[in-house]
Amino acid sequence: MVKVKIIVSYKEGVEDPEGLAIKKSLNLLNFNNVKNVTVSKLYEINIEGDSSSVKKEAEEMCDKLLVNPVIHKYKIEVEKI
Amino acid sequence: MKKDEIRIAILRIEGTNCEEESYNAFKILGTKPEYVHVNELSRGLKKLNDYQMIFIPGGFSGGDYVRAGAIFASRMKGTISMDLKKFIDDGKLVIGVCNGFQVLIELGFLPGINTDWSEKPQAALAPNISNRFECRWIYVKKEKNSCEFLKNIDDGKIIALPIAHAEGRFIFSKENEKKYLEHMIDNNQIALRYVDPNGNYEEYPWNPNGSLYNIAGICNENGNVFGLMPHPERAFSRYQHPGFYRNLYEEPGKKIFKGMVDYIVKKF
Amino acid sequence: MIEKIDERYNVYRIKIRSMEEQDLLRISDQLSLALNFEEMLRLRAYFRNLGRDPTDVELQAIGQAWSEHCCYKSSKFVLRKYITGIRAKQVILTGEDAAVVEFDKDHAYVFKMESHNHPSAVEPYGGAATGVGGIIRDVLCMGAKPIGLVDSIFFGNLNYPYDSLPKGVKHPNYIFNGVVSGIRDYGNRVGIPNVAGITYFDDRFITNVLVNAGCIGIAKKSNIIRSMVDRVGYNLVLVGGKTGRDGIHGVTFASKVFKTGENVEKTAVQLGNPIIKEPLIHAVLEAVDKKLIYGMKDLGGGGLSSVVGEMCLAGGVGAEVHLEKVPLKEKDMSPWEIWISESQERMMLAVSDENLNQLMEIFSLWDLEATVIGRTIKDEKLILYFHDLVVMDLDTHFITSGPVYCRPYVIKYPAQIKEDMIPPEPNYNRVFLNLLENPNIASKAYVIRQYDHEVKGNTVLKPLVGIIGKETHGDASVLKPLIDSYRGIALTSTSNPKLTSIDPYWGAMSIVDEAVRNLVSVNASPNSFADNLNFGNPENPKVMGDLYEVARGLSDAAKYLKIPYVSGNVSLYNETNGESIPPTPTLMGVGIVKDIRKTVSSDFKDHNDIIYVINETYQEMGGSIYYDLMNYRSTIVPKVDLEKLNKSYKTLLKAMDKRLIKSCHDISEGGIAISLAEMSIGGDLGLEVNVSEIGNIRSDFKLFSESNTRWVIEVSEKNERDFVKMFSNLNIYKIGKIKDNGEFKIYDGKRLLINQTVNNLRRHWTMFPVEESK
Repeated sequence: MVKVKIIVSYKEGVEDPEGLAIKKSLNLLNFNNVKNVTVSKLYEINIEGDSSSVKKEAEEMCDKLLVNPVIHKYKIEVEKI
Repeated sequence: MKKDEIRIAILRIEGTNCEEESYNAFKILGTKPEYVHVNELSRGLKKLNDYQMIFIPGGFSGGDYVRAGAIFASRMKGTISMDLKKFIDDGKLVIGVCNGFQVLIELGFLPGINTDWSEKPQAALAPNISNRFECRWIYVKKEKNSCEFLKNIDDGKIIALPIAHAEGRFIFSKENEKKYLEHMIDNNQIALRYVDPNGNYEEYPWNPNGSLYNIAGICNENGNVFGLMPHPERAFSRYQHPGFYRNLYEEPGKKIFKGMVDYIVKKF
Repeated sequence: MIEKIDERYNVYRIKIRSMEEQDLLRISDQLSLALNFEEMLRLRAYFRNLGRDPTDVELQAIGQAWSEHCCYKSSKFVLRKYITGIRAKQVILTGEDAAVVEFDKDHAYVFKMESHNHPSAVEPYGGAATGVGGIIRDVLCMGAKPIGLVDSIFFGNLNYPYDSLPKGVKHPNYIFNGVVSGIRDYGNRVGIPNVAGITYFDDRFITNVLVNAGCIGIAKKSNIIRSMVDRVGYNLVLVGGKTGRDGIHGVTFASKVFKTGENVEKTAVQLGNPIIKEPLIHAVLEAVDKKLIYGMKDLGGGGLSSVVGEMCLAGGVGAEVHLEKVPLKEKDMSPWEIWISESQERMMLAVSDENLNQLMEIFSLWDLEATVIGRTIKDEKLILYFHDLVVMDLDTHFITSGPVYCRPYVIKYPAQIKEDMIPPEPNYNRVFLNLLENPNIASKAYVIRQYDHEVKGNTVLKPLVGIIGKETHGDASVLKPLIDSYRGIALTSTSNPKLTSIDPYWGAMSIVDEAVRNLVSVNASPNSFADNLNFGNPENPKVMGDLYEVARGLSDAAKYLKIPYVSGNVSLYNETNGESIPPTPTLMGVGIVKDIRKTVSSDFKDHNDIIYVINETYQEMGGSIYYDLMNYRSTIVPKVDLEKLNKSYKTLLKAMDKRLIKSCHDISEGGIAISLAEMSIGGDLGLEVNVSEIGNIRSDFKLFSESNTRWVIEVSEKNERDFVKMFSNLNIYKIGKIKDNGEFKIYDGKRLLINQTVNNLRRHWTMFPVEESK
């Protein structure tokens, strides 16, 4: 069994209202050095298989459900557990 | 065909929650609406082919947990999307409201640029620019477009409709934005645009989610697949319209639904 | 003291019979039973008499059933004395999961309001969400379709300085955003419109947030399902979510005082899953329509233990339950955990053998789990099995025979002195704008718009009313629940902790007055109430005294008006580190609208129409927002003249029925000035009024007094005579006219007190929340 971590975030240039709202809140809390906040989604998936086959499967998951390529980019990490 | 022969499939899975008011709207217009659970289609208990129109109502299908509409779309991709493609190729109507619009975008049936069915989404309905769910009435202007069934509303007419969503910001990827938008304009695919009460294409809050080009509703090139963020089924009767208290008896939603029904009567 | 019964399973026998007195409390603590010494003594005597020791499952079941949350041991006495005894002919059923009241010949409305304070204090998002989830199930399990939500929520001020926060206490901003998002994400996902409520700010809620959630549903009278089973051999079917360790000891947790820094039991808060609930509503209602369900009850506090026990007790039967059949989230749960878990999204159905298959098919279509876990039996006992082992065998009457306390109380009589200090007259324009920005007056659009208040398409009068894009606060929302009828239901919620903490009796009367005012403002006839009583520690006699006085006030008002309290909830122990909340009764008011085509909204309609104030304005400044703002104190709170209230509201309804009233708004926080401002903002119309006639008091008291039983109304010149004639038995005051020039001018005699533009009023009124405006 391996653990796949899929991190889905907005592509450069896509406005991320949640990140902007959090940045504003942090600035209001006097974290004045905060210049930018982006919010990503992390999926942790436990799955049977070896690292390379699993990576391919994870890409398909992104394709079919987890990512809208118009606004999202993603990163896949595979971990043995 | 006759009105009372028109069968309309109102699709649902867990989390669709505007099916009742949509059902009532079609019922009042004299057609035969029917709730159809996606499980009933995938288990072969009901067939898409038996219907003249598919209506995907609003809600939070699958909780909208991955992205609005993504779970509903993926459930359909796995099971009935080929049937749906045939349905659309036959010229029948497919309408998506709010969450239903999100589903049609995720499925790749809208906007359908240079294709009737794109394998990957060509556009996105991203989180509102205000970063929150917003429920309120807004104005849209009806634009010149290729939906036959919207012909009973004059081009340029401003109507009030309610919105209620967290993810409704229509956008393209930066690299395709200019090309796709021009394509949609050239092909009369933009049906409704957010405006202020005087008809100006204004920014937030009149454009309630920050959509590109104030886009509120679009159709495919053929004009038989239509998706919109506002809820016509909540503007069906004059008593739902806030103007009712100010002696404005308007029923913009009824006009939109009636157009669909009349279209089917004529066409099939 | 404790010994394992069977090698194979995690079931223990607690040797309570031989325990010394000092060990009894220790075992109560160790098992988190939250039972006190007397209660433990009673248990020991019972098992000595029975001739055996209890299992851990049995003790846990009793701990749940005897908790404050489940058996109201501190408040029952007060409730019986004042609240629950008001009879009215429209009431069909009370004392079940939710109240059933007649709507029309064939239909009933079903509603309840309940607090979810303690969980929301620990985890605002999950606590508030599960509060909404629980109240929906209460309505659903009566066989009713949920059609509206109401939420009244109380926080510390959002601008509270971070440095002054008590250690371990989360900032109101964090709690506020968590609670609002929790209500939003749950309510919007299940698709039930959230149409009314209160968002209230007062620093006495810094450590103890209040979340009171209400739900109303509609049902055919013939479809009403009882929360009980009185037949033997019926299947007990558990439907919905799986059972997990989440939410164990939630009810005993709500029966204790908080200490910050205390390692709060993490298990007591959960998130809830609206995407199980949403199809659950469909499946249950389909089964109800097909008459497949005999009895039904929601799994809330106390879990299976409470639900099986209470359903059987009410029907005079017993049950055998097989705990190993309960679908679990975690495999290795002990029998006692399964029995008392409060996991969300579960309901218990009593179903005959004959209907079982058809029921199972419906649930399968919706991908929902439904499992037969037991059967009803003739003996009034609860017998639990875990595989082949009997882990509990107790009399239902004993389990649910929780103690009732008549706790000592001290009644506070506010000194009836005149105000010792009267503030100097203010700068009227500045104070007026400050009031508009006050968080308890300012626009709550930020909150209201995050809730879908129109889903299902039945919200004919929305919580925000007026010109699109310029909406103002409405008094109550109106739903049209039936497709083929113009009859409607109006909903409102009221509370006023500033008044109830100065004078619990008159404060309680005032919130009844306000509930009536709100309902009548939209042309609804007040029909019934739910009461939520939020208080501090009942072991403090002063707190109990406040509870008595509040109950007496609620009772006196409702008895006179013949409007019954049909459901309610008491939340005690809202106290942290000795800091108690103010006494905070909250009402949910339900009104019947005879014809929704005649509902009235609060926004001004037309230029040149005439503005009237109904009833007198007095110098009753205690608890007013104006005094709060000016930092003045007074114990003279608004009183209620019940005869006048009764007469006024009935006359007003008559005038509305004749369509004489074009807009109507009640006068409450901020006084006449604020009511007028809200009406102007929503209609985008100005006004010119003169308040000289409305009372013989100083100008600022005329403008900002919160005296009860008053409304501002708009009437056209054409209808003025008929209107005046109809109100000949009441005092009404013609104060001015609506103007379309955008100017907002209030005079007192020759003095121009307020000179503003409607646009400027709107700018100040919409500055909430603070953070947004920066």
